[in-house]
Amino acid sequence: MSEQFEPNIVAFLCNWCSYAGADLAGTSRIQYPANIKVIRVMCSGRVNPLFVVNALQQGADGVLISGCHPGDCHYMEGNFYARRRLKLLKELLEYIGVDPRRFNMSWVSASEGHKWKEVVEKAVEDARAAGPFNQFRRRQIGW
Amino acid sequence: MDLNKLRETAAGIVSREDVKYLIGWRRGTFGYRVSPYFIEDAAGVEELIFSPLCISNLATYLTLVERLPVPRGQQPDERKVALLVKGCDSRAVNQLLVEKGINRDRVIVVGLPCPGMVDWKLLAEKYPETEAPVEMRWQGDDFLLVHNGQEIVVPRAEALAEKCRLCRHPNPVISDATVGEPVQPWEPAEDSGVGEIEAKSAPERWAYWEEQFSKCLRCYSCRNVCPLCYCEDCILDRLNPTWVNRAFNFSENTAFHLARAFHLAGRCIECGECERVCPAGIPLGRLNRKLAKTVREEYGFEPGLDAEGEPFQASYRPEDPEEFIL
Repeated sequence: MSEQFEPNIVAFLCNWCSYAGADLAGTSRIQYPANIKVIRVMCSGRVNPLFVVNALQQGADGVLISGCHPGDCHYMEGNFYARRRLKLLKELLEYIGVDPRRFNMSWVSASEGHKWKEVVEKAVEDARAAGPFNQFRRRQIGW
Repeated sequence: MDLNKLRETAAGIVSREDVKYLIGWRRGTFGYRVSPYFIEDAAGVEELIFSPLCISNLATYLTLVERLPVPRGQQPDERKVALLVKGCDSRAVNQLLVEKGINRDRVIVVGLPCPGMVDWKLLAEKYPETEAPVEMRWQGDDFLLVHNGQEIVVPRAEALAEKCRLCRHPNPVISDATVGEPVQPWEPAEDSGVGEIEAKSAPERWAYWEEQFSKCLRCYSCRNVCPLCYCEDCILDRLNPTWVNRAFNFSENTAFHLARAFHLAGRCIECGECERVCPAGIPLGRLNRKLAKTVREEYGFEPGLDAEGEPFQASYRPEDPEEFIL
């Protein structure tokens, strides 16, 4: 019997919407996959594209970035910048041959616990379908 | 291209009180090579050239120049720098102005409409490099090469550089003085390099770039030559945090190339310098042009056309595409 592959997904959540949305999902006892490793950032505009590259280098099978809906940003426009930037990153990753399913981005507001569950399920499903991502793994040198 | 007129204009600019030097091109020491040339007085203009071999982008010297601390009691040198630009170079100057990397009052831009440059590596296959510097001129649409005392007409399609085949702005978009008549822009060719990769499947693309990135020596020539890579504190040099390890392996090379390409997204003016200087022959232009293409097609944005414009990644439109967001 083969064991199902459990992907590692790094999620960058904005403090004001998505993190609160994920928190709401938790307090509402909504079940969602535990493959997500959440990193809280103050704004989705804070996510440097190199965070994503670094996460993939350090063994993530997928990356999820989530922020407030456009127009709802706590800092007025952070998610608009994030949208432009991460769109380009997605194109670039796709272009060099990374499976596009490894990179997901979503808008989840603080009241959307159920949407958060769906997003996570989709991200995990996608990464699972894409399989383990080892080609890009940083070589660990043990001295 | 009337060289005498160019030299006259250059001499006029260099002899001005408020001009430090003029950056142009002169013949190199051998073969097809052309070197950058810093002219400080009017006598120097005799060696100035503008030929189909002047492919290098001189705009990089605006920011590459070392700014030593000024000794106590001395005033910093505030004189202007004059620069010869082709169409693509002028976009780099514009982009630098947009990013406030240079001060408009400190540069004099001499625009040279460019009928297209030669990739000498293509030429050298047929006409090997000689010990003496060769001469080259435009002749109608084609190039005239003086090789071993012989005048050879090289058809345009045979030697035109890749960036020039794709060129959309052969005339300078910013200039204080223009030498020569504007050229008629030609129909840019289909970007076969990017198209070829886009047509591949994801694993094939990965295999392609794996081969390319594995060749990388991490000499950072591509960064150093780029007119738009001028951060004083570059993430590649930074140790804390170490964004990209110095280790020489595929993972770090890929991270480096992703970072380099990404930092030029929406800024790259497609002058092709990174690709030209790469000692390993990595087709870096294909990375940059892919992002430039996305920016152009999906956002209708072209960098370096308007010196008063906004930087692409530091601006947004509420209606930007977001079909990829869940």
